[in-house]
Amino acid sequence: MTLRKTPLVVAGSAALLALSACSGGDQKAAAGGPITVEATDTACTVSATTANAGNLSFEVTNKGTKVTEFYLYAQGDRIMGEVENIAPGLTRKLTIEVPDAGTYQTACKPGMSGDGIRGTFTVTGGASRQADTNTQLADATKSYATYVASQSDALLTETQKFADAVKSGNVADAKARYAPTRTYYERIEPVAEKFGELDPAIDVREADLEEGQQFTGFHRLEKDLWATGLQPDSGQIADKLVADVTTLVNQAKTIQLSALDLANGAKGLLDEVATGKITGEEETFSHTDLWDFQANLDGSKAAIQSLRPVLQERDPQLVSEVDTQVKNVQTLLDAQRSGDGFKYYTELTQDQIRQFASAVDALGEPLSKVAEVVAQ
Amino acid sequence: MLFSSLLIGLREGLEAALVVSILVAFLVRTDRRSALRWVWPGIAAAVVLSVGVGAVLTFTTAQLSFEQQELLGGSLSIVAVGFVTAMIFWMRKASKSIAAELRGKMDHALAIGPLAVLLLSFLAVGREGLETAVFFYAAVQSAQGGTTEPLIGFAVGIAIAIALAYGLYRGAIRFNLGKFFTVTGVLLVFVAAGVLGYGLHDLQEAGFLPGLHALAFDASAAIPETSWYGALLKGIFNYSQQTTVLQAIAWVAYVAIVLPLFLRRPAAKTTPVVAGTKE
Ligand SMILES: [Cu+2]
Repeated sequence: MTLRKTPLVVAGSAALLALSACSGGDQKAAAGGPITVEATDTACTVSATTANAGNLSFEVTNKGTKVTEFYLYAQGDRIMGEVENIAPGLTRKLTIEVPDAGTYQTACKPGMSGDGIRGTFTVTGGASRQADTNTQLADATKSYATYVASQSDALLTETQKFADAVKSGNVADAKARYAPTRTYYERIEPVAEKFGELDPAIDVREADLEEGQQFTGFHRLEKDLWATGLQPDSGQIADKLVADVTTLVNQAKTIQLSALDLANGAKGLLDEVATGKITGEEETFSHTDLWDFQANLDGSKAAIQSLRPVLQERDPQLVSEVDTQVKNVQTLLDAQRSGDGFKYYTELTQDQIRQFASAVDALGEPLSKVAEVVAQ
Repeated sequence: MLFSSLLIGLREGLEAALVVSILVAFLVRTDRRSALRWVWPGIAAAVVLSVGVGAVLTFTTAQLSFEQQELLGGSLSIVAVGFVTAMIFWMRKASKSIAAELRGKMDHALAIGPLAVLLLSFLAVGREGLETAVFFYAAVQSAQGGTTEPLIGFAVGIAIAIALAYGLYRGAIRFNLGKFFTVTGVLLVFVAAGVLGYGLHDLQEAGFLPGLHALAFDASAAIPETSWYGALLKGIFNYSQQTTVLQAIAWVAYVAIVLPLFLRRPAAKTTPVVAGTKE
């Protein structure tokens, strides 16, 4: 009744199906010419099983006795294109835009049911999709905005609990909550830094205080909890922290980030690690720097993840370089896990710190190129 | 070979002709023949558009992306559901006036613009037209290559569909008016439910809605769409041999809501309206 009528495909069993039924050589499609598909009741013969990315043209002839359909599937049985209702004796043409290299599957479905007779189809190279670029970048910022929203919601909830613990004088509980709460902040810090006064109010370190600036936020409470013991104004500081975080969360949800912001944020988080966490300066009193380290890395990964389709298209080499280096850093971090969290900074050897530093440098290298690629 | 093309033609033809034949029968039965002149331009426009787009798609490599095609097909179907639903209640309103023997008020109850009649016939035919046109071109092309069987089968199928729709129309205008409203109204409810389900399925295929692989049932073995009865079921009710959960829920919900609403007020003259009965 509609433009397309298609029986469904049950995912999963695809692999089981007759690859053998599909012959067809490994040769590339003749330049410009359509790839012919000969469909019968038991076979699905595709004239080429490899093609360059771009517009692919299939010419499907039904030489069987049943009405058939032809599909091209991307991974996960995502339909790239289909032509249906091919009566016996008919030839139908199908043009599909396949911009990404990868492994696809062709399928003929005699009788228009079932998973069809499948064959592997490889697409190589990559065609530029100028028109889609803006969409991809918009998708990237949208996906990252979702991430920021989820992290800031958790940040607010956890900060409230942390503040309550401080106010009730429950030092042990507050200490236990300190590092995990901060991870939500550290993941989205580049966003927080967009709001001039809020980031210092929430996250300033004592050593970085400027003349006349009040020492508030997480690190002030860190000092109270670990070094000096709770102060008469600790409760007020906790309340102010909750208020500041609330403001931040509300603003973070409405901020319009650009794809370039994401790229710079991913790099910025790594710089944070290099200047603060590797040196142990961030958490002078609690020594929970590795929690922040992990959170910075998570945030950086999330930004890259959102940009991945764009990066993959423009510079696949860079993507794999980033992936490799991220993995290296993560492996080093995983080695320092302890319970739900990490070892304290003070438990690290000089050697381990040096290893971290060089792994972070190695990751910073490709990350610094991401913005350039996004700006292309 | 001939038979399977015939079934496709029958199915596509029925899908398009069913709603139109009921619309025409309705206009004739309610002495609204003057509105008939809006039906034909709607159909003609749909045919011209379908043939034009079908030709462009066939003779050039220009092509909508798969998602765009599905989005277009799916949205058109859902718009069509809206129109058919409006038609159902439009007919119901007319039947009320008749039951109350307020013939004088008929025109008021039927106050619906020519544009609506035109749009309804356009949508009913246009929704199917594109697909049919593309198929027809493929058949014509293969006829040039020597195989005329699919083309013949297809043409015979469409002819049967038009004959069936005409038969339905004749039968419908022989019914007494009350029965006509009830029977065609109930039929249209199921037709519209099927169109809704298929529209949603298209949107699922395009990835605009989730759940493409969540099947409510798979009857492709018991009632295949490629059998004559499957083709009939599909042509009339948009039966789908593999139905997703979303499709099934939408179908059931639509019927569960619209059918009681349609039947709420007795449409047939044979059902007495008890005075003082609360509505
Ligand atoms: Cu259809």
